[in-house]
Amino acid sequence: MSLQPKQGSDTSFWDHHRGRIFTRKGGLVFGKGVFCHGYDMMEKLVGKASYFQVLVLNVTGHLPERRLSEWLEALFICLSYPDARIWCNQIGSLAGTAQASPVAAVSGGILASDSRLYGPGATLAAFSFMNEALKQKQQGVEVQEIVKSHPNRRNDGVPVIAGYARPVAQGDERISSMVLVAERLGLVSGEHLVLAYELDAVLTAEYGETMNLLGYATAFLLDQGFTYQDVYRLLSCWVNSGVHACYAEAADQPPESFFPLHCEDIDYQGKAPRPVPA
Amino acid sequence: MPDQPRQVRKRNMTFASRTVTRIWQETPSEKNPYLAEQCRCHGYDILELAQKRSFADVLFLLFQGELPTPEQARMLETLLIVLINPGPRHPATRAAMNAAVSKTHTQHLLPIGLSVLGGAHLGAAEVLASMRCLAENLKRLPAEVARECLFAPRPAEGDFHPIPGFGSRFGGIDPMPRQMATLLVSLPGAGRALAWGEGFTEALAPYDMGWLAPGVAAAVLHDLGFSPWAGGGLFQLACAPGILAHGLELADKPITAMPFLDEEHYVIAAEARK
Repeated sequence: MSLQPKQGSDTSFWDHHRGRIFTRKGGLVFGKGVFCHGYDMMEKLVGKASYFQVLVLNVTGHLPERRLSEWLEALFICLSYPDARIWCNQIGSLAGTAQASPVAAVSGGILASDSRLYGPGATLAAFSFMNEALKQKQQGVEVQEIVKSHPNRRNDGVPVIAGYARPVAQGDERISSMVLVAERLGLVSGEHLVLAYELDAVLTAEYGETMNLLGYATAFLLDQGFTYQDVYRLLSCWVNSGVHACYAEAADQPPESFFPLHCEDIDYQGKAPRPVPA
Repeated sequence: MPDQPRQVRKRNMTFASRTVTRIWQETPSEKNPYLAEQCRCHGYDILELAQKRSFADVLFLLFQGELPTPEQARMLETLLIVLINPGPRHPATRAAMNAAVSKTHTQHLLPIGLSVLGGAHLGAAEVLASMRCLAENLKRLPAEVARECLFAPRPAEGDFHPIPGFGSRFGGIDPMPRQMATLLVSLPGAGRALAWGEGFTEALAPYDMGWLAPGVAAAVLHDLGFSPWAGGGLFQLACAPGILAHGLELADKPITAMPFLDEEHYVIAAEARK
């Protein structure tokens, strides 16, 4: 065993933190100002840095170049479709039709996007795949082999890879727009993005699947030096704007007028009526 | 690199024309098809259930499709009571209390607390992981699993959960989950996972580790036949009353009713306040 039996609880770690908050982030110092990772927020950030620069600063502790924050802002627009069929957006609509508050609506929509299928919730899977794939490539494994040996498969044999499939649609119209943004901003890509496109080429040719926005963004942000934790945190409110649109439209209409259902619109396939035993 | 806009096609998927449920049947009113005249849960009329069965019975029915045996009902009822309040020091409860004292709309207190209770440390995600872990290890001897997992590297600081649902809290064995498990294991409906957990915590005890509340919930819910996914949510449901009660206790109090640390106790690192 790596552990030795203990005679009693050692609580010194918690005792040190009890009744106090230690922070490397910053905070309000009355009479002096608001400090944020070494910056005076009112003097150095407000009106001088963009919101997304400060978001990156708060998440990672580092103030990025403005052009990276512009790229991130464009990335957020890519998940701002005002389409009430999209699952997280529909939560905004349902909250609106139930006359919930906009904060509840957007919080619910954002929480819904913490999904294994899409949105920020799929970040870990996309990062894990890309990191592992790059390791394999560096060890000399062919890209075709990386795809071929991927363990997760659909019933028809198509590999299921986070960042390389998309619910409902095949193809991703957002990537070319983001590539243009990156080019305009002079943001260069690196080995992750090179591999991302190589994987895309194999998947497109052999399986008809293509890289999606998350796959592109994952590779791009890995090239920029972000970690998985950074990106999961940065993208946590990714769907915010689209949920707002759907909420606002539904909230401005009479309650329960959004997509109402007859009783018979639900297909009950359960047990037949039966008496309750005492 | 390809940077030309690509053709985006709708995937060839067949979506259901109507949502299917096997849980709930709503019989439409003859006068208005949007209104239900009668509701049945797995075939039982809800009003008849309300007259003849307990809340725990109907909760079990809702998730499992059949009413529980008296032993199962007692296990579930007992679990729901012992978990009813994570207490005012649990991060989930504190989140609701913090929101309440700062005058957050009271209808948000429960979602706030339950979101925090979704966590992988003492929350729903730990219950889910613990149920999966129990299912994988029940065929093995608890002492053998303990020997293996105690070899795992433990964090330099803070608590260590050698498997989800079991470990130390604030550096020691949490007495309340231990007592909860002792109570539950004495009931006629106690099952294999609970017994396995007792054996496992016996092996952990010399290292100042034992049952954690998510582990107790996981063992009981596994024994009752709930899925891990249901287990995480049921843990949130079980803890909800306490979280809400503590929040509401502060909702009409002044904002000064909870600590707001002075600068002596809010310690900003020098590099952050240059």
